[in-house]
Amino acid sequence: MPAVDVPDARTHEKTGVDAPWNVVVHNDPINLMSYVTLVFRKVLGFSKEKAREHMLEVHRHGRSIVWTGGREKAELYVQQLHSHLLLATLEQAPQS
Amino acid sequence: MTLSATDEGALALEEIPAFLFQLLKEIPARAASDDPRVESRFYPVPGEDDLLVEDWKSLIQPELQELFLSAREVVRTDLATASENSGTFAMEIPKNHMESWLSALNQARLAIAGENQFEEKDMAEDLAPDPSDARSLALFEISFFGFLQECLVKMQD
Repeated sequence: MPAVDVPDARTHEKTGVDAPWNVVVHNDPINLMSYVTLVFRKVLGFSKEKAREHMLEVHRHGRSIVWTGGREKAELYVQQLHSHLLLATLEQAPQS
Repeated sequence: MTLSATDEGALALEEIPAFLFQLLKEIPARAASDDPRVESRFYPVPGEDDLLVEDWKSLIQPELQELFLSAREVVRTDLATASENSGTFAMEIPKNHMESWLSALNQARLAIAGENQFEEKDMAEDLAPDPSDARSLALFEISFFGFLQECLVKMQD
């Protein structure tokens, strides 16, 4: 009888990988507010209002979670935000 | 200095005083700082995961370096097309170069701020430039480049 792969062997690990991640943008005193708003619209597809809300959250509270989801896409967003010289990090979202 | 939008969507800068044009010409060099404090700002760590940080440095950072360099080269090329008339300068920033200008201006502002360790309170200072004072000049540069950035952001809005 030929050997057969067992597909459920890594089920637990996959759940860990798929746990949600937050993309967090941190405050920077040099970046212009209008520029940050524009970058949020371009990179994350936010409306003008939503982009401005997140920009103000960054400005007032030092950080804003701008996206939550799978790790691969979160890494891509962080990379794109870095390419616009915004301070962005990846954080594992708290599990509910 | 006067700024206006052309029919083609470019930003036309005219009657640029020699002093301001000199600052514009310095954008690529100012942005290409090799100060370690600037490097850490240009290439921040993406998180606390050591493996991710290692991957980021080897894979993403070179891509970002290339992107930033490319933006600076676009700016350098545009500046080379400037014309002089009676001691003032004129040039255009084409619509399809605005993204590069936004990047290079931001790079220059962050580099100057990083080298001078400027903080939020510094940015609120009186911005009358004093060419004999390096700190005052640096703050003025950040403000002037920020003004241009604002114009470009408005045109993209």
